[in-house]
Order: sequence, then structure tokens, then C-alpha cells
Amino acid sequence: MGKRNINRREFLGQASCAALGSTAFLSSVLNMGLINTLAARPHILQNSGDYKAIVCVLLAGGADTHNLLVPTNQTDYDAYALTRGNLALDKNNPAELLELGINNNGKTFGVHGGMTRVHDLFTQDKLSFISNIGTLIEPIASKSEYESNLKKLPLGMYSHSDQIMHWQTSVPQSRSAVGFGGRMADILHDMNTIPNVSMNISLDGKNRFQTGRDYNEYSISNNTDESNVGFKGLPYWWSDAGAKNDIKDGALNSMVEQQYSNIFHETIGALTKQTSESIEVFQNAFANVIPLSTEFSDTNISQDLKKMAEVISVRSKLGANRQIFFTSYGGWDHHDNVKSSQNAMLPQLSNALGEFQESLEEINMADDVITITISDFARTLTSNGTGSDHAWGGNQIIMGNAINGGRVFGDYPSLALDGNPLNVSNRGRIIPQISVDELYAELALWYGASPNDLDYILPNLCNFYSTSGCPSTLPQNYGPIGLFA
Amino acid sequence: MFQKNVLRQTLFLLCISSSIVLSAQPDTIVIGFGGFESVSISSSDPSSHPEATLDQSGYLPNENAASRFLSQAALGYNLNDIQDVANTGIEDWIDAQIAMPQPSNLTSIVQGYLDETFAALGTYDGASRYLFWEYAWWQYHMTNNDLLRQRVALALSEILVISENSPFGGTSFALANYYDILLSNAFGNYRDILQEVTYHPSMGVYLTYTGNPKTDVSQNRYPDENYAREVMQLFTIGLFELNNDGSRKLDENNEPIPTYDNDDISEFSKVFTGLTWSDGMYFFGGAPSDQSYLSDLVMWEEYHEPGEKHLLNGYTVVDRDPVDGKADINDALDNLFNHPNVGPFISKLLIQRLVTSNPSPAYIDRVASAFNDNGQGVRGDMAAVVKAILLDPVAISCDSGEDDTFGMLREPFIRYFHINKAFNSSTISGQHKNVMYSIEERFNQKPLSSPSVFNFFQSDYQPIGPVEEKGLVAPEFQITDSQTLTGWINGLYDWLINGYVVDIWDLYSNQPNTAYENDYPTLDFSPHAIYADDDELHVMLDKLNLILAQGRISDPTLEIIKNALMQYDNEDQEDRDRRVKLAIYLMMSSPEYLINR
Repeated sequence: MGKRNINRREFLGQASCAALGSTAFLSSVLNMGLINTLAARPHILQNSGDYKAIVCVLLAGGADTHNLLVPTNQTDYDAYALTRGNLALDKNNPAELLELGINNNGKTFGVHGGMTRVHDLFTQDKLSFISNIGTLIEPIASKSEYESNLKKLPLGMYSHSDQIMHWQTSVPQSRSAVGFGGRMADILHDMNTIPNVSMNISLDGKNRFQTGRDYNEYSISNNTDESNVGFKGLPYWWSDAGAKNDIKDGALNSMVEQQYSNIFHETIGALTKQTSESIEVFQNAFANVIPLSTEFSDTNISQDLKKMAEVISVRSKLGANRQIFFTSYGGWDHHDNVKSSQNAMLPQLSNALGEFQESLEEINMADDVITITISDFARTLTSNGTGSDHAWGGNQIIMGNAINGGRVFGDYPSLALDGNPLNVSNRGRIIPQISVDELYAELALWYGASPNDLDYILPNLCNFYSTSGCPSTLPQNYGPIGLFA
Repeated sequence: MFQKNVLRQTLFLLCISSSIVLSAQPDTIVIGFGGFESVSISSSDPSSHPEATLDQSGYLPNENAASRFLSQAALGYNLNDIQDVANTGIEDWIDAQIAMPQPSNLTSIVQGYLDETFAALGTYDGASRYLFWEYAWWQYHMTNNDLLRQRVALALSEILVISENSPFGGTSFALANYYDILLSNAFGNYRDILQEVTYHPSMGVYLTYTGNPKTDVSQNRYPDENYAREVMQLFTIGLFELNNDGSRKLDENNEPIPTYDNDDISEFSKVFTGLTWSDGMYFFGGAPSDQSYLSDLVMWEEYHEPGEKHLLNGYTVVDRDPVDGKADINDALDNLFNHPNVGPFISKLLIQRLVTSNPSPAYIDRVASAFNDNGQGVRGDMAAVVKAILLDPVAISCDSGEDDTFGMLREPFIRYFHINKAFNSSTISGQHKNVMYSIEERFNQKPLSSPSVFNFFQSDYQPIGPVEEKGLVAPEFQITDSQTLTGWINGLYDWLINGYVVDIWDLYSNQPNTAYENDYPTLDFSPHAIYADDDELHVMLDKLNLILAQGRISDPTLEIIKNALMQYDNEDQEDRDRRVKLAIYLMMSSPEYLINR
């Protein structure tokens, strides 16, 4: 829906971290090594070609990411294999695990054997992993803190509907309708030049990630044939079909131009109006797409990412200098057959990411687009037969030329059940040590948000980054992730 | 808004479109049936609705009120159905519907298609057998008059969710036989529904407890928690302790109180171990055959977790010796069914599906009370729940529709189905086949095709804007975006203007289907086309308004539509016929139709 009459700065005032002085906050941002983003209003375009996009791929259902990225040094692998039992992958079989060839203070890693393109992107420094990341309100260092009732836990722990929401909103103390990408659009939408065209493009319909206070997503399908984008015109064989069609469309528009007092009328009317207003711009943009030579697989996720690459290629037709894309790839709730299912699905994800990166290179946009995966939660380390159940912290992918590639960010935890301070259950559930906020904050600054905007975009961020003003002490290990050089 | 009439203060059951009041057009069709004089306000159950009681003759609505009632109580209906309700009275109509024996079931219809296939091909294994579920659903719903049963079953299918997006997506028996539980128990008892759902192989596969073994610590292997979690979160009690009016109980810190924690899930997960196929040789593995989906799961005791299970509200399943898994499951389902949350939790979900997205606490309380006790000491009586929902003053009174927060977005699938009923879709053969492929592409909904157990949309979904600002919800908006809205409007184009109202694929595949033409439906616009003349357009629009939108399309919108129609040549018969289709297209695209109130 279009912009509503909310004064954004007023809203920011209400939403801000009241306890946090701006000086303290700026110094914390300095700590993040992002000095060049500190211009007072960095969301002023740097130059005419200044374009950036964030792509979010939701692995809906809670992907078992402890089999996506696996420790391979002997000690940690042994713990992994013992805990996972019949779910463990064999590190000596490259069909199951591909060694990534890095060493983080003695820790080595393999990626799932079906993810050859992800492996290759990693070795080319175009892709990294973020280990043990998850939804948090504030840092939780250990099982004893988790059980202490002194630390706030995300609402609805281990529940799909809640955790999938929290990953998208990064406000896990509440059930919020507004997500990270939506709040970014609230702040930054003026960087784009066509007011009615949303900054946020969804290939998966409504989603919280892209829902803002002021701006909704615009949903498209990966089939953008003309008949699938706009309202169909009347049959050509009708007499005066063109004129009759104008009558039809005029009446459609007139109906939604009315003022409604019922809240549902108002909501559906606004959506119809927004859709109607955007159609022509999108039809024109899609008509200008030059077919990509990159070949994409015939899977939904590949086709969704292909469509995003095409949209990026005609961004100027949409007046877009900043865009946030979203799609979901579902079916990861592997309470059974997790190994065989992932053997089928992870290659699809890997190929889709590889194809997308290739297409961005083809259109010279690989420096300007960052892709992340998110998922409801990771899964229990232990087996329930052939599957695994709902858990918490896990591993995610980040891809793009702009990031520090070829890294495993964070401190990949031990996967031992016993004597493991981060394990909170005999089923193997690991407390995340990197918050979603930390990932999103660095992305937001790269995207062009000002440090002053971050308290609106990520209201909990001060719990993780500040050195003073917010909660008095923060654990030492809550530094920046270091996604960027 | 444009409603302004004093009549609604006094004429409780008279839904009057504002067009009539403001324009004072003569309109015999809408007012029919004796007009205002025939309206009486009454209930045969004065104790539950004393405020509505004038005499003992039952609710007798006018046609708009009857149409409005059917929009809550049926998936689709035509003018005859509306007149039937107007003549019979709402409560008597409900009672007749509840008393009506179920005419058929989906499993037998699927079997019929298989038999047809066998007769034609000499094998049951026709290449289209995976479509028989869709065909059977459509055939049943287009040809049977158990409108209320159909409506309740679809609502239940969006609560007790399984989906063809699963390993049994191509197995028609798996979907049809599960749906039959919901049809046959639509007026049964919720405890029976829970029982049948739990033992149905489709749910067992969907939520992965078929072939779910007991704990083996030596292997670090524990029972699957999937069903344990979702049967609580989605099918019975929800996440938080509720008062009977659906509001959350609060602890001393004013925080909501979770109904269960992960330890409870772990205990329930032990209960749902040991179930497997009725006709399998092995405990583990997939369905031995398509017919496996027609029989309840069976218990293999050696795979069932022995020992006590500590369930909710201090209840403990005893350590049975010998192990008796079905007795454990019985105890666990009783423990859940008797939780005080079930009444308000399930009642609210059903009200949201049938009547309004944001029922008041008082409304939920009234329906939940009927769930808790049907008046004869029976808990979980769905007939009592359905009556409580539909006969509630909030549902019955057209007045409530004037509230700016009342109503709901009509589900896209129901809108589509309504077209087929409202315009008397008919075929030469009398068969009604529809694989519903293109509609799913257009607006992401058809029966049993949710992307997950969380349904097509969640009951607490809040679209940004006035709904969210008021702290309210609008679940159906979760599948309503620029793409699906375009899909809906272009669907109207294809169904009405192009005449492609259903998708029929070959019944056997690889064989020419000579019945195709006989099976392809046509919509009948002729009763409306006779009013397509300039001078009578208002009659046509009022009639369409009655059938589609219970008279809720406002005067200004009707005026916009009328002005558009008038620009089609009145002297040209083709153009006059096109007027009807364009009128329906525009009306069903309008916010005043899309929102049901």
C-alpha cells in the first residue's frame, strides 16, 4: 500500500532505544569497522550507478543446518558423529561432505556433499557461512543462563510460526507484523525514484520480512508473461474491444478510489489500488528484460532467483536504486528422512545460488547484491528415527562479492551433548551465539542505512553492540561478525 | 460509508442494501416474500437468545438476510437456496441440514473413478488417478445439497490441516478418505474427530508419526516430536492458557501463560510412538499400497514407549504392563480434549472461518460454552457449536455488519466455488469434474493444498494498515497480495468472459476422452440477461447484488458499474449479454464483495 501519513521521524522517536546515547552508539559502530558508512545521511546516493540489493531466501520449515556445515577436525567431528548417530554424514566420503579447506584455530569444516556449487563459491571467496546464528533478544552465554529466568528468551521457542516470524522481524520478544526489510524500506524508500513502486519485491507473496510500517512488498510470480502481470484485456474479437477494455479498467479503478470506513474494505481497496498503480511500470520493465544467457534449473527456487536477476537487470525501469528481494524455499521440516530429503534439496539450493551468482556476474551486478539464507531454526542434533526435531541455533549462508568470502563466521560450537555449556537439551539444542540482529545490522549499514537509523530498523541491537548506555555489561564475545572487509 | 437507515434499528433480520434506501428504486426482487411485514424475530431457544425472541416461529429472514446467512453457512448457493432459507427460516434450515443424512462420500467417488478406469483400460492404474481426489471433491460439492456440512468440513480442513504437498500428494485415497472424516463428523463430536484424525494414515504421514519408534538412548534416538507439538499448538489448545472468552490468562507479571513447554512435548511424543500401517509387514517404511490409506493406523506395542508419561494439568498416563499404546493415546487425547482451552480455541477458529475475523470475547464465550456443554452435558458436540456460531446475534444480525471492524475477507476458493453455484453450473453428463489446477496457480488455494500445517493463512495474521493499527487480525489477507489479487481478477475474466470455468483433464490419460464436451460446464446467465436492457439494469444489478453480496454493494459502486454497462451498446444483443458478465466481473472485484460482512 502507498505511503501513509505517519511522520517517520516521529515514529523513530517512539521506537528508539531510549537508554542509548547516540555517541555511545556511534562508537560501537566504529568498533564494527564501518567507518565509511558514518556520513550523517549515507542514504544519499553516492553516484548514478549506486545500486544495492539484498536477497533473502527463507528455508521454510527449519533446515537441519548442522548437516549443511559440519566440523571435520577429528575432535569436533567425533562429537558430531556420536551425537547425530544415524543422521551423521561421513567426512571421508566426498559425496556426503566436501572439505572447505579452511582452518579456524584448529577447526576445519565440510559442506554437504550435494552442494558443489556452494563449495566452489566458498573457495572463490564469494560465499561464507555464519555459524551458530539464531533468534535472540539478548545474549545468552550458557545453559545455566538459559535456565536462570534472568535472560529473556524469544517468544514461542521451537515453534515454527513464532521462530519463522522472529527471523523475519528480529524482534523476538513480540509477535510483530513488521520485518527487517520492511523497516529498511520505511527509512530508505526515498532512495528510489518512483514513489508507487515498492522497494521490496516478493516472489513468495506476503511475508513479514518485507512488511514495513509505511511500505508493503510488491508480489510477483516467476512467470511474468504479460497476462500474468496486469489485468487481462478484453477479447480482441469483441467490437471496440479497446474502448470496452478502458471502460472495464476505468470502473475497476473508480471502485477502489472510494473511501471506506470498514477496515477490511480499506485494506483490500488499498491493495487493489497499489497493484493497479504498479502494473504498468512492471509490465514495461518486464518487456525490457534481455534474456539472460545463464542457464537456470527448472526448480522453483532457481526460477525465483532468475526472476530476481531479471528484475535487477531492468532496475532503472522501476526507478530502483535499492531493492530487497524475498522468496521462500519450503519443505525443510524434516521430522523424518532428513538425510535423503536433504540429499535432494540441498543440491537444488546450491545450484540455485550458483546460477544466481553467475547471472549477476553476467549483468555485472555481483558486487552489488548480497544473498542470505534464513530458516525457522536448526534442528535437534539427535535423531528421532530418520529425522530431527525443532531446535535453535544453526548455520546460514551469505553470498556476494562484497562480503568477506571463504569464511566461517562465528565460533562453531561443540556438538557434544554432555559437558557442552551451549547445549540446553538431551536432544541437542544449541544456544545461538550470533544474533539475527548482528547479521542484519551489518547488512543494513552496507545497504545504506545510517547508524542513526539502526535503532528503528533493529530495536534490540543495543543489546548486542553498544559499549555503554544499554545493559551495563555485555559478554566479550559479542563483537561484530565482520562480514565486510 | 453510505449506509444510513433507521430501519435496521428495529428490523433485526432485515438486511437492506443501502441502494434501496437511498435510491428508493422499486425492487420487487429483493424485497419479495411479503416484504417487511413477513419479518419476525424469534428463536426456538429463548434461553440462549432471549433478546431475539418475539414468537416461536423461528428466524425468518428476508432474502438479503438469507443470502448473508448462506455466505456464512455454505460455500456456494444460488437464488433457490436463498429463497429456501427465506421460506424455511434460519434455525429450521440449520436443523434440516443437520438432520440430512450424508448423501455420499469422497472415498466412494474416488473408487467409482477407479472402477471406470478399470472398465475402460483393464487396469486401475490410469495415469490420471492422482487427480481423482480433486474430481471427487468437486463432484461431491457441486451435486449435493448438504451445504452446511460442506461448509463446516472445509473449515475443519483449515484447522486439522493435512496437505497434498506431502508424500501422499498423488494418492487420491489419502486425501479423500481424510476429508471424509471432516464431512462425516461435521456435526459429530470433536473428540471423535481427534481420534479419527490421529489414527488416520494421512495425518500419520503428514506429521511423521507413522513408524515412529520408542527411545533408544544408546543410539541417541528419541521419539519424533512433530505430532506432539502440532496437535497441541494447532488442533486443541494453542500456545497460551485461555479464558472461556478466548482472552489470555495472565500471570502475576501480566504475562501470558504458556500451555506447555518442551518437556511436555517430549512426554506427548512418547505417547505417539508405535503406530504404523495396518497392512504392512514392517514397522518402518512408506505406504504398502494406496488402499493402506483407507484403514486406521495400528499399534505395534514393541515400538511403543513404555512407562509413565506426564501430560498436562498434572495428569499422568500410568505405566501399563503389558504396554498398551492405544490406551496411552486414548488417555492423551482425553487429556487434551478436556483441557479448558479447547472450547475457546476451536470456537474462535471456527467463528473466524464462518463469520468474522475478530469475534468479540462475548461471542467466543457463548460458542465455547456450547462446546463445553451442548445443554445435555455433552462436551465437543459440533452440531451445538455450529448452531451457536450461526444463530448468535452477532452472526444473524445484519446490524453487526455495519461495525467498521466486523467481517472478513472471503476466502478466494470459496468465492470461486460460489460462482459455480450462483450461476448454476451445469453439464450435459451431470458429472462435475475440476482438477482446480489453474485456480491454485492464481490465488494459492484449493482444498487440502496448504503449504504447511499452519494452513494457507494463520489465524493471527495482521496486514499492515488499519487492521494492525487497531490490534486486530485478518487471516485471509496473508494470501492476498498484488500477485494473487491480479490472479483473482484475471480468473474472473477467464471464468466469466472466456467461459473457462473449470480445468478438466483426461480421466484415464493416454486415451481420448469422448466425454469431455459432455463434462464441460456452462454457467447460466440467462436469468440476469433478461434485465440487461438500459431501463432494467438496476433490476439486474440488485439481483446480482443479492446473490453474490447479500445486497452489500453500495449505491455509489452500483452506479459505477451501471455507468460502465451503459457504455455497451443497448441495441446490440451481444453487448447486452456482455453487460451481465462485466457486471459480475466488476462486482466480484469490488471491495464491497470481497469483504463479507
